[in-house]
Formats: sequence, C-alpha cells, structure tokens
Amino acid sequence: MRVFVPGDSAATSIGADEVAQAIALHDPSLEIVRNGSRGALWLETLVEVETPTGRIGYGPVTPDDVESLFDADFLKAGAHPLLLGKIDAIEWLASQDRITFARVGIVDPSSLIDYEAHGGLVGLRKALLLTREEIIDEVTESGLRGRGGAGFPVGLKWRTVSQTINAEKYICCNADEGDSGTFADRMLIEGDPFTLIEGMVIAAIAVGATKGIVYLRSEYPHAISALQRAINVARANSVLGSQILGTSYEFDIQIRIGAGSYVCGEETAMLESIEGKRGVVRAKPPVPAIEGLFGLPTVINNVLTLSTVPMILAEGAKTYKAFGVGRSLGTQVFQLAGNVARGGIVEKAFGVTLNELVHTYGAGTLSGRPLRAVQIGGPLGSYFSTAQLETSMDYESLLTAGGMLGHGGIVIFDESVDLAEQAKFAMEFCAFESCGKCTPCRIGSTRGAETIDLIIRGVKVDENKKLLLDLCEVMTDGSLCAMGALTPLPVKSAMINFPEDFTGAPK
Amino acid sequence: MTMIFEPDFGTPASEKLDQVSLEIDGRTVTVAADTSIMRAALQAGIDIPKLCSTDRLKAFGSCRLCVIQIDGRNGTPSSCTTPVSEGMNVITHSEKLDRIRKGVMELYLSDHPLECATGDECELHGVAKKIGITTSRYASVDTHLDLEKDESNPYFTFDSTECIVCNRCVRACDEVQGTFALTIENRGFQARVSSSGTSFIESECVSCGACVQACPTGALTEKTLLTIGAPTSSVITTCAYCGVGCSFKAEMRGDELVRMVPLKAGGANEGHSCVKGRFAYGYATHSDRITQPMIRNAITDPWKEVSWSEAISFAAAGLKKIQVESGINAIGGITSSRCTNEEVFVVQKMVRAAFGNNNVDTCARVCHSPTGYGLGQTFGTSAGTQDFESVEHSDVIMLIGANPTSAHPVFASRMKQALRKGAQLIVIDPRVIALVRTPGVVAAHHLQLMPGTNVAVINALAHVIATNGLIDRDFVDARCDAQSFKEWEAFISLPENSPETLEASSRVPAAQIRAAAHLFAQAKNGSIYYGLGVTEHSQGSTMVMGIANLAMATGNIGRKGVGVNPLRGQNNVQGSCDMGSFPHELSGYRHISNPRTRKIFNDAWGIQLQSEPGMRIPNMFDAAIAGQYRGLYVQGEDIAQSDPNTSHVHTALRAMDMVIVQDLFLNETSKFAHVFLPGTSFLEKDGTFTNAERRINRVRPVMKSKIGKSEFEVTCDLATAMGYPMSYENGAAIMDEIALTTPTFAGVSFAKLDELGSIQWPCDETNPTGTPTMHVEKFVRGEGQFMRTAYVPTDEKATRKFPLLLTTGRVLSQYNVGAQTRRTANNIWHKEDILDVHESDAELRGIKDGSWVKLSSRVGETIMKAHITDEVPAGVVYTTFHFPESGANIITTEFSDWATNCPEYKVTAVELAPSIMGPGDMVETHIMGDPQLDSIVRMANQIAANIPAADAPEIKVAHHIVQFWTPAMIERLHNDVNKTDLSPTVLKAIEILLVRN
Amino acid sequence: MKFTPWSQDVALALLATLREEKGPVLMALQLMQKEFGYVDPACVGLIAHFFNKSRADVHGVLTFYHDLRTTPPLEHQISICVAEACQAVGVRTLAKEAKARFGDMVNDSFCFGNCALGPTAMVDGKLIGRATVGKIESAFQ
Repeated sequence: MRVFVPGDSAATSIGADEVAQAIALHDPSLEIVRNGSRGALWLETLVEVETPTGRIGYGPVTPDDVESLFDADFLKAGAHPLLLGKIDAIEWLASQDRITFARVGIVDPSSLIDYEAHGGLVGLRKALLLTREEIIDEVTESGLRGRGGAGFPVGLKWRTVSQTINAEKYICCNADEGDSGTFADRMLIEGDPFTLIEGMVIAAIAVGATKGIVYLRSEYPHAISALQRAINVARANSVLGSQILGTSYEFDIQIRIGAGSYVCGEETAMLESIEGKRGVVRAKPPVPAIEGLFGLPTVINNVLTLSTVPMILAEGAKTYKAFGVGRSLGTQVFQLAGNVARGGIVEKAFGVTLNELVHTYGAGTLSGRPLRAVQIGGPLGSYFSTAQLETSMDYESLLTAGGMLGHGGIVIFDESVDLAEQAKFAMEFCAFESCGKCTPCRIGSTRGAETIDLIIRGVKVDENKKLLLDLCEVMTDGSLCAMGALTPLPVKSAMINFPEDFTGAPK
Repeated sequence: MTMIFEPDFGTPASEKLDQVSLEIDGRTVTVAADTSIMRAALQAGIDIPKLCSTDRLKAFGSCRLCVIQIDGRNGTPSSCTTPVSEGMNVITHSEKLDRIRKGVMELYLSDHPLECATGDECELHGVAKKIGITTSRYASVDTHLDLEKDESNPYFTFDSTECIVCNRCVRACDEVQGTFALTIENRGFQARVSSSGTSFIESECVSCGACVQACPTGALTEKTLLTIGAPTSSVITTCAYCGVGCSFKAEMRGDELVRMVPLKAGGANEGHSCVKGRFAYGYATHSDRITQPMIRNAITDPWKEVSWSEAISFAAAGLKKIQVESGINAIGGITSSRCTNEEVFVVQKMVRAAFGNNNVDTCARVCHSPTGYGLGQTFGTSAGTQDFESVEHSDVIMLIGANPTSAHPVFASRMKQALRKGAQLIVIDPRVIALVRTPGVVAAHHLQLMPGTNVAVINALAHVIATNGLIDRDFVDARCDAQSFKEWEAFISLPENSPETLEASSRVPAAQIRAAAHLFAQAKNGSIYYGLGVTEHSQGSTMVMGIANLAMATGNIGRKGVGVNPLRGQNNVQGSCDMGSFPHELSGYRHISNPRTRKIFNDAWGIQLQSEPGMRIPNMFDAAIAGQYRGLYVQGEDIAQSDPNTSHVHTALRAMDMVIVQDLFLNETSKFAHVFLPGTSFLEKDGTFTNAERRINRVRPVMKSKIGKSEFEVTCDLATAMGYPMSYENGAAIMDEIALTTPTFAGVSFAKLDELGSIQWPCDETNPTGTPTMHVEKFVRGEGQFMRTAYVPTDEKATRKFPLLLTTGRVLSQYNVGAQTRRTANNIWHKEDILDVHESDAELRGIKDGSWVKLSSRVGETIMKAHITDEVPAGVVYTTFHFPESGANIITTEFSDWATNCPEYKVTAVELAPSIMGPGDMVETHIMGDPQLDSIVRMANQIAANIPAADAPEIKVAHHIVQFWTPAMIERLHNDVNKTDLSPTVLKAIEILLVRN
Repeated sequence: MKFTPWSQDVALALLATLREEKGPVLMALQLMQKEFGYVDPACVGLIAHFFNKSRADVHGVLTFYHDLRTTPPLEHQISICVAEACQAVGVRTLAKEAKARFGDMVNDSFCFGNCALGPTAMVDGKLIGRATVGKIESAFQ
C-alpha cells in the first residue's frame, strides 16, 4: 500500500513532514512515498493513496487531520471532508498542458525505476541513436526557446557550441531561480530530478560536452539534496558516467551552490561564480557558447529548458510545437504566487490569457480583497493593471504590452499594494543585488530608490519624476546586463499603469 | 619644454593580420580584425568618451560612456567590448547616445567630489566637460564622500572618495603586474576598490605603480603630485636600476621632478614599472649627495673640499708619481655598469690611452663576466639572444638562478603574463623563489639543487635529452659545428652525467630531472633565462656554456620565444661590457691581441695600445697587496662593500697610494680613497644605457648637473691632466666615436635613437634598425660550438666547522649595495639584511625567528637577524647584501669562476650561532702570506680542471692563460710558484708558454 | 545548529578535500562557513595560500556573497523573504514584528521559492510557509 505525502519544500513548509510522520506513526507498515508536489500548492499537504482505480487525493491535510483520515478509512478512498477524489480528474490539474511537469508530483523523485516506468529515459535512448546534428535539428525544429527569461532559441545555442572544436566543453544548468514569484525550477528538481539529468545528458551528447554543472541556489537546500541523490542514482545506473547507457559517451554532473546573489542568475555572472570568483557580469562578446566556463565552450540553459528536452526527443518536435502561438511554441510553466487564492504551477500552452491564469486558476486574491496589480516575470518584470488582464501570455504579446515573460512567475497583489513602494523596492532590490560593475546599475539603482523616496514624500514630485524617467532610460540602454536594463520595467510600468500612486500625496 | 603625450586607444591592439573595413560616423576605417570599435574610431581620429578602458588593459565594459549604435543591431553596446566587423556602420554620436552619456556622467558626478585634489589630472571631470555636463540633479543621500584616505604607502595615496570603481587599478594589478593585490570588496553601490581589506602597506601590493598609472581619477595618486603640483614638462629617459632598462617619462614642474611615468612606447617595459624605477628616485636629490670634489693625503686625514682643477691635478700627480716609481702598469681603473655607455667608453679610453695600459675592468666582472665568456665561446657573441617580448611566445620557460620578481620585476610581470597564458615553467634554484608558486603561477618543476651544483643539473638535463632521442637533429645538423657536437654528445651521454649519478651532488631527484628534460625538449618554443645564480660560481662560465649547449641541442635558438637570456643585474651591464671595459677586450668584444682591432684604435686615438691583457679586478687587489699596483680610479662601484672577501679588498685598498673614487655619495670604498670626485645621477646624464636585451636606450638630462659638469668631462679632465688631452662636446659625440670604432654599433647615433626610440645592437648596414633576435640564420661565430662541460665541484664545501652553505641575492625594494634605495622610502619594506634559515638548522642551533645570529665563514664573521623559513632547504642559508652594517661580503670568499674570475658569491660554507649582540664594528681577518701567488696557483689549477682532458688540454690551458692573464702574472706562474702545487696539465702548459715566449 | 569551534587544522583538512576542484575559492569559503558557522578572518590567508590565490582574490569573493559572514552566528538564524510575492501577503509587517522580537537574528532574504505560500521564513534551516512570529518561534531548534 503506497501513500504519497509530498516531500516538496513548499509542502513541508506548511507541515507535510509532520503529516507524513503522523501517518507513519499510526501505521508503520505503510509505504510512504515522498513525491514532489503536484503544483496545486493551495491543496498542500495533498495526501494521495494508491487505489485500484487510481490515485485518490485528500487535501489540504494538516497533522491534526491524520487521525480522522484513518478513521474515514482513507486508504480505501473513504469519505472525508478533505477528500478530493481522483487527482487526475481535478479540473485545476486536468485542464493543464503538463509536458515539462508531466511527472512532477507523480513519481518518486529518488527512484530511477519509477522514472522509467513513467516514460523516463525514452528521449535519451532515442538521442543515443541519432547523430549530434540530428539531435540539434530536432530541438531546433521544436521551436524551444530558453525558459530562463531571455527566450533565445535553444537549437541555435547548441549548434554554436557543437561547432566549436574544443575537446572539453560544459553544459551549465542555470538553477539560480532568484525571481520572487518563481519556484518551477525548484519544484522540478525536487519532484522529478531525473528529467533534468536526462536533459543535460542529451545536451551533452548533442554538443560534445563531458562535464555538467548545475548552479543551484543556497536558498534551495532541499533541491540540492534531492538533485544530489538523483545524480548518485544516475551514476550508479550509467545514466551518468563514462559509459552512458552502455555507449561510449561520457558525461557527469556536479552541483555548485550559490551563496546569496541574485545577479548570479545572469549567465556570465553565474560562470564567474562557478569559477569561484565574485559574481560579476562579463561583457559579451565573447558569448559563453564560444568562451564560457573556464574559457571553454559552454551551453547555458535553464532548468525548465533542459527538462523539456527529453520530452521533445521522446515524442518529437512536431508534438511539442503543436502547442503555443506564433514564435512562442510549446508550453510555459507559469507560477501563480503572492496574494493568490489557488497558487501553484500552471503549465499551459503559450497564449493563455493573464485573466485565465489569475482568475480561472488563481481564483483571485487570497485575501478576498479586489485584485489591483499583477507583476509578471519576477522583480524585473512589469506591474500590470486589471485593465491588461486580457493580455496573451507569450513572449511577443508581453513585449508589446510593455512587459516580459521572464521565468513565468506571476505575483498577484490586492488593493492594499502601493505601487510607488513597489517601484522603490525594485530599485532597492537592484541596489542590493547589483554586482557593482557597470555604472548605470551600480549607482543608478541607489539614486533611483532615493529619487522615488523623494516622490513618495512629495518632494519636487514633477522634477523627480522626470529625473526618474531619465534614469530609467540610462539604465535600460546603458546597463551591461539585463539586471540593470530591466529594473526600469517594474518602475516605469508602475508609474504608467498606476500614476495615482506617484502624486506625492500622503497615503 | 612641453609635456609628452601618449595617446590612449582604449583597448589593446589586435594581433590579427587580416584587415576589416567599416564605416564610423560616415568615415571608412580599415583596421585589423578583432580591433574594438573604440580603437578603430580613435585611430581614425574619432573621440569616443571613455573612463574604464585604457589600451594597456583588456576591455571591461563597465563605465558605459563609450556606447555606440550599429546599423541593424539592437541597443547601444559599448564600443570597447564590441569588435569591428566587415561592412559595419557605426554611429558614435547621436541624441540618444548623448543622453545616455550625460545620464551616466550625472550618476558618476552624484558620488564624486565636485573638485578633485589632482585638478585636471582627473579624467572624470575632463570627460564630463567634453560631454557637456558639470553637475548632477540627484539628491545623493548615500555617497562615499566621507571615506578616509589610505596614506600608508610612502609613494601614493588611495582616496576612495574619488574612486569610480572602474576596476582599472584592479585589472592593472592582475593583467599587467600579475600580483593580484587589489580587488573590489562588497558589491553593488557598496563596491569599493580594496587592497584585501587592509591598508595598502599591509597588503600584497608590491608598489609597482601600475594601479596609480591606470587610475583615471585622483583616487590613486603619487604623493608628489599632491605636494609639488601638476607637471609642466616631461623628458623621456631610462631607469638606472636593473638591466631591464625601463623607459620613463620624467615629468617635471619647473626644476622639480614630479613623477616618473613608465612609457608605453618603451620597448623594454611597454608602460610598466616597478617600485624602484617608478618611485625610488629620491636619492638623486638626497642631501647626502657630494657635489664638491675632495682630496686628502692619507686615508686617516679628514676630507678637504677643493676646486675641480685642484682635485684633478692632485689625482693626476699621484697617478703619475706611481707610474714613475712602479711602472706604467701600476695603476688602472674600474668602469661602472651604473654609468652610461659614453661614460664607460671614455673611462676605458682614459685607462688605455692616458694611463697607457689595459688595466681596466668593470663591475660586470663580479656579475656577468661568465656570460660574456660562455656565450662568446658557443654562439660567438656576448649577449642575450632575444628581446623581452620574446618570452610571450615561449611554451616552456626554464629559469635558472634568477629571481625576477625581486630583481627584474618588470620582466617578471611579462613572464607571468606568458605563464598565465599557458606557458610552463621550470625553476632551477636552491630557494623556493616566488615564481615557484605565486598567485596565477605554479612552476611545472622546481629543481631545488644545492648551491654550487648547477653544472651537475644542466648536464643531467642534457644527458636525458641526448640519450632519450630528444635532440633536434635538424637544427644541430644545419646550424652547429659537427665535430664539437659529436664530441659533446659522446661526453654528455656518459653515465657520469646521468641524473642518477649526479643526484648525489645536486640532491635533485633523477625522476624530476628526467621529467623536466622531456618537458623542455618537447616544447615548441623553449627559452632559458638566467641570472647571477648561474654566473657567480666557480663554474659560472661552464654553466653558461651548458645552457648554450642545451639551447642548441633542442633547437631553441634564432626565433621568437626561444633563446638564452641573461638577466643583467645593473642597468648598463650589457653596455659597459660592450664598451671595451674588460682588460682583454676592446669595444665590441674584440681581443686586445688582434692587431687589426688595435690599429683601429691606434689610428683613432693616436696611441699605441698594449697588446696583452691588463688586470682584472681581483688581480688588481692581489697585485696591490703584492705592492705592484698602487693607483686606482673607480667610478660608481662600491668595491669595498660589493666585492667578496671584504678583508682582502680592504687590505688591498689600504695598500694603494692613490685611490680615486667617483660617486654620488661617500661609500665604503671612499673610506680608503684619497680623491673623491662627485658623480652625476641618471637624471643629469646625457647618454645611453644598454639593457639585457641589447637595447640601447637614451638617457636624457632631466635636470641640471648638480656637480656643474658632466661626468665624462671629469674623466676627460683627468686624462688630459695625465698628459693625454680628451674632450667631447656632448654624449652624441662620444657615441659617434663608438660607432666609428665598433662594428656592432656602426649604425647607432643619437639622432637615430631619437627617431626610433631605441635600437637593439647589432646595428649596422645589414641591420639598420637593430636586431631583436640574434643568430636567426646563422650564429655570429658561424656554426654553433658545443662545449664539453664536465662538472667540477667547487672547493668551497660544507665542512664540520662550516656545515651550511650561504647563498646571496636581492629583494624587490632594495638594490645591490643599497646606495640608492637606502636613501629612499623603500626602507619601509626592507630596512636590514636578513638571514633566511631553515627551521631544522635553526632549531639545532637554538636560533629563534627574528633573533641575532653570528654568521661565520673561513674568511670572516658578521651578525644579522635570522628569519626562519621554508624558502631555503635544510643546509642552506640565504641573505641579501644591501646594507653595509651587515656586510654580507665579509663572509664570501676569494673563490671565483675558473674562466673569468667572477666571484663565487653564491656558495660560501658557513656556520651560525645565536648572538646576544647586533651588528657592531667589522672584525677584519688579517690577510697573511702572498695572496697573489695563492690566486695564481688556484686559478691555474682550476682552469686545468675545467678544460676537457680528452684532447691536449695543456694547449687550451696555455691559450686561456695567454688570453686572460697579464704578462706579470704569467711570469710569476713561471718563476715563483712552487711547482708541486700545480697540476700536471698546468706544468705542461707552462712549458708551452715558455716555448711561446 | 551546532558548529565546530574555529580550528586551523580542521580547516586545512577540509580544504584538502577541494584540492582537485577547479575554481575552488567560493566552495572553500562555503565549506568553512558550513563547518564553523562563519568564515573566520584567518580563512582568507589560509585559503589564498592553499589554492595559490592572492588574499585580495579571496577577500573580494568573501565580501561579494551575502550568504557569507565573518562573525560567529547568533543562537538562531532567521531569514525572512522580503521579496514581492511575500510582500503581497504582508511580509513588510511580519518582518518588522520579527525584528522587534528577535533583533539581529533576523536577516532579510530574497525568495525561497515558496511564493504561493508566503510569507516565508527560513528558521535554523527549516522552511516556514504562511509564516507568523509564533510559527517562527516554535520552529527554533
């Protein structure tokens, strides 16, 4: 008898460990699987039991509910106020396009057998039968773009690295998921780490790399141990190592842990950090694909990007690109966060509207007070007003709307939010996290926060607003990397979409 | 006079050969591929504002002032980090770009003093003015304007309030100097330049000045700039410290030297410097300078200041009297490697023409004379084969007996750049020198040999190469003398030269030798650099020849990246040797016995040169004690401190009747002098120095002579007073005479030097602009000559009484006898000589770190402070010789190189004992017996021991003696030596010499 | 959390485990902090020498990363996420209260990836969702 109690850190942050403990205490004979989270975080702790008709869910379960669950004979899907029925049938989940997250919450993240039982390694096995060119062609054909935020075509990047002649090359997985409102990387690593490993191995074979690095945040201790455990299993089963699945391919992965620096999510700063140095942004060219980690050709992709690759190889580029709109093909793993009633992972084909995400999936605010603002794409993303809820969620439409998709994080605010304070925070965050290399970001962010503070306090409001807009232009066009260049996005969008918060009038 | 301005193209020149054309602001520009847009624009005369970029450093892209727009590309990239591409259309000025630049500058100004202490020196204000903005609109709540200055370095200040965090200083320390002493601490707005969280003086900073040079604002500033003010004129001249010979702009305000700025166009240093050349010039105007001539009848009398003419007459009269009483050969002179080529040439001319003998030697005798001999024998010329730039093309660098980070810092930086780019390093040294392991550099092999066993190691390396099929046969066949190679190959392949056999002497594990030999032999470009750790040995000349053999056998001669390169100690060692200041050679290394050479000078000077060699410096001392040598003119060398076996030197000096010292300061030697003639510092000289890469650099007068005349005028006056009239209008006239009489200098003139900047000799009709790499097509002597180099252990051995071996060297901040550096703030880093002792040797003797120890050898004893370190192996102790108080040379012995008499400074058997007292008055050993006769016996036997026994060694011994000994010495060998003291080979050689006479 | 008292010998033994790593300085500093709870100032010279870096290199890295601290940790470590998603659910107020209650033990942090269940705190290594001052206190180990 298997009972699933998520070991995901979001679930554990509200008591999943205690729930698991209570269940184990009640019936030590039960096999409790610590799966990842299904992503319906509003249902955590979501306890599932395996029944002949499928997995039946209860949630949200607290430790105090456990006794009553046993009383209700939940192991046999007994009736209980928390009974959700068959998990797969829950509309919130059933209506999603789970591709990258297909296995998250379903499989035991530490079991390679479970992974294979759910379609794992099919992509890699197919890739092993292809030439490097053919793998890259397939990925190119799928239209997959970098999910870390920049949206760069993955096939093109791989091809550049593949064509370099160096004997040593790197695959670097950027798992420095620092944007507030994003947690998809973490959940994937905690819930289905073999998918990431498989994606990296395929990338390595495609470009001729032998070494992989996953740069993981120190704020994600749970993900670090989950991934390390999976790497060890993968090594023991020749998914990593010197003879991958019995072939002559060689590839291994090391985890390098961040040390509290948002800018290290910028790819060149990440390389510096992996090299053990100050996480300072490098000027490009040279691009990392030619001269990356330790000066060697390097593929840098985000967790979600690499984790989508096995599916593309397994099911074909055509299947993948059937999803999405325009040049935004496939699915995006949206993350609903902040003041949201039903927060969590919503993986949908590009083209879903903001409104669907916020209201259909998110069910509005957690507080129940009216929605006022939505920040899309992390701390460097724009603040959208309720007037913009019909925006189509894809790279191009968001750009047109004055925003950006970023890593797909959507933070919902109710009416209590002060957008001038949020704008100031955007500058403060930049000041706190700037690597300090280029002037617009290094000095500009501090001056920006100071200037917004003056506006809030009603000091020379018009002059300072003009100065702030001038600064935004300098930061946008003058900064060395996206951190400084995008910080004006939340600031300007707040000023434009919520001008009433920038009058300097006391609130 | 005006300021010399060196343009800054923002980014380094591209090394690519293919050309790219593009349009910048409508102008078509053609540049090398990979050139930055910034550099391309600046070359076309289009000025793009910049702060963080400078052409000595890689592009960084942080200031964001140099943004541009490119047709068909998004955004506004920085022009310093964006390379040109064919057909590109670039706009450097537009409304958009102006707005960004003003916006960025406004941010800078929001955290920068409105007025800088250095005024116009601050590039920030200059650029701000240029882009039309003077103030910032920001409220600037948070600033760095209240940070405290770091004044800890004696030469420059760090004022963080003016710092714009452009990283130029940090990058200069990394990329140019290679010390990595600076960093940025914290991040974001809090990011500040830091010398690792401590003050500059406590940090790893070596005070080279690269950061100060790189700083665009007043954040890093020479203190003199703040106290004296901005310079108003500048003169290009050459540093007077080590043999690197860095070019500097001496920047003046009126008559006052504000600062020395390394010249980017300087061939030797390309804009870099070290703490000595950059900052330690204060001795030149130190109050200790003697500017008035002085005389006295006896060395126990006080000095009396006199007029120039009185001093010259007094000196000349004394010398003439000696010649009348003791013969024409009873006087002589010593030239200085600190002086210009012109001054040296004039002194040797005075000795040969006015004194009428060949008793002229140079202080290079005690440093690099074996280089002259060894490279002369093998290659046919007495000089390094490469220019410094060559090291950047090396794949494997072998560094022997040299410590460049201390002694040749600017070259060391260049070497470190090559090593960071991937070149491998083999260090052969008894000590763990910095380059064995220093940030960014790890030697592939450190062959930590015992002092005195160089030849054992070089032979072992060559043995492996010869017996493992690693010889470059193509090169040897094409370029080298077949017979000598055959003999050498047979010799070096003997088991006696195997690493396993020689391990017992050298203590270098055979496996390590084998690995190093393979690495060197298999390098595409292998180069060898060496210093006094090679030459200052009883087998110094043998070792130089061993090095030359190794380079030839591996085909590493005659192109970039290879070669045999002596690192010269003094600024003009190469030049003083070139100028004919050896007793057996005329300028250009032509033996005095050659009648055709003599004729050139006889004709030019209207005299008859003696055809036999004169005395070397040690011969002079011996002869003085023997009463045959009574008058000496010594210029710019403090023989009483710098020459070995101080008691012996002092005894010799005391024995003389007329010692004339010409120098900047009273020194140890002047204590024994009868005439003191003031000299000039390099800032007052008009002439040339020749550095270790044969580069002739101009030395230009920066200030008026403090003694009222030039130094060569004094020499000429003395010659004239001796009865041989000499005079020159200026330095240029002397160079013209050098060119006229010296084939390798035939094409050199001051006019050409002014035009080209510098010239590497040979410079003649075939090489009108000089010769960066020598022996390209063929060796100067025709075919390369292999020399058999049997390892003959030195007689200076560790014994029960003296169980440790002392070796000596220099530190970065001090220089040789310290006459200059001790008179500067450099003492802050090193204020006394320290004895490095291994822990086990210290423990055995109860010596504590920092305590006084008595150091004794068979010739003397002294006291210095002990430093316990693992930089020396057990059994070896090490010290510097910068301070007269400690007088390290009291300890060093009379032993010397068999071929050249270069002293064996690097090996002295010593013993240590704890001492309760610090250094006191020097205790001198009484010199007994007939030191001259002892020397003659020792030298003769040593020559015989070092000449291969295979083929008629007695002929070669006889030949060697005739070439280098004075007739008087040969006569004593015939007549006075107890024959039982001589080896059979010497006895046979004497018979040959008798027949010859 | 229990840490080893600062010891150079322990430090050197730990550094030796990183001998084969490329770019080891940050890892070394993290390892020191993991073992001793902080990076002792003596580590700068030690790491520099061990890995043949300059002290400045190590100092630069040490001062760049906010995770690294150079003083021994206080009794409890409380990091509160003060980023947008947690702001949306009132972390500004929670952070103020927590600082008033726990003083210097409270540090600002940016995102633990628990953005749908904020406000979030990390207390002695344990992640707390829907955090309150009470939940923080009861999470002390």
